[in-house]
Amino acid sequence: MAKKIIAFACENSALKAVEALSDPAVLGAVELVRLPCSGKVEIGMVLKCLEEGYPGVLILACPIDNCKFTRGNRRARSRVESARQILRAAGLPEERVHIDFLSSVDSHKVAEIVRSMQQRLSVGAAGPAGIEIGKGAKA
Amino acid sequence: MITAVQKPFNEIHGMVRECRNLLVLGCGTCVTVCMAGGEKEVGILASTLRLANREQKISMKITEDTIERQCDREFFDAVRDKVEAADAVLSMACGVGVQFASEVFEGKRVFPALNTKFYGTNESVGIWSERCAGCGTCVLDKFGGVCPIARCSKSLLNGPCGGSQNGKCEVDQERIDCGWQLIYDRMKSLGLLHLLEANEPLKDWSTGRDGGPGKIVREDMVL
Repeated sequence: MAKKIIAFACENSALKAVEALSDPAVLGAVELVRLPCSGKVEIGMVLKCLEEGYPGVLILACPIDNCKFTRGNRRARSRVESARQILRAAGLPEERVHIDFLSSVDSHKVAEIVRSMQQRLSVGAAGPAGIEIGKGAKA
Repeated sequence: MITAVQKPFNEIHGMVRECRNLLVLGCGTCVTVCMAGGEKEVGILASTLRLANREQKISMKITEDTIERQCDREFFDAVRDKVEAADAVLSMACGVGVQFASEVFEGKRVFPALNTKFYGTNESVGIWSERCAGCGTCVLDKFGGVCPIARCSKSLLNGPCGGSQNGKCEVDQERIDCGWQLIYDRMKSLGLLHLLEANEPLKDWSTGRDGGPGKIVREDMVL
């Protein structure tokens, strides 16, 4: 079965926004992983997800300056940038890794973030051959 | 510690792309501390190689491991089987480790994944800077613990030169502090400025790189 976009969400904000969402198309388009803080994101973990066939890795962090652990979201942002640099250097589309920042009341933004990523992945020829991205999501 | 940075990915991939069975081997000591070639970096490089190989349709089995040190023979025992099974080893150790792995595993190609930089310190999180040039004749006692060989761009023993401006070195006024400004400030704070009035005689450079490859023999330890 084709893998979905894997989304690592901070449990203090972004995860609440996603969980409050009622759109099954959007919820069905991602595989959600709970993080105690987006600062737990490691470059190796992101690359391992791509290696294992996930078409894209989405990190959902707290808004900048609103991290419970002060700078976890900034760390996540710089690690995502490093992961994207690694992908560029290896000749792979950097669009496969993306970070966005959400507060717990930003449920309305989740659908757009997921759909944008699906679009970037399909337009950028990012996913491994044979993977259908975003099946079931609204166009 | 010895510091290093990873080579550009294309250079690494160019070295190993003909391999069919590659062992990416990390080192658990200096390059782990400077975050260039430890277990975590081995995982990142191995994943990147697998992704690039998949994209370019290159068939290559990649295994990963990290040993305590690549500059001591006994630690290689733990990976001997993996090395034997591989076409080549991509070492994420410093230049010492790469060469020693080549010596230990005769007939096996060992490629360097890192560029070894200098003997340095962890100045703050994510920042390392040079402190020692390994000249073989330490002069730190005369300069308040600030090394003119490693920290002056010209390794001047009787500095500063005319290129010192506002505490910065003319080689790079943004990035490099003038080593002699550091020495002056340090000696002043110690109340030892008068010691800098003495001319330092010519240094015998043969104890460092100019004397050829170094070797230490401890007769009391030799078996």
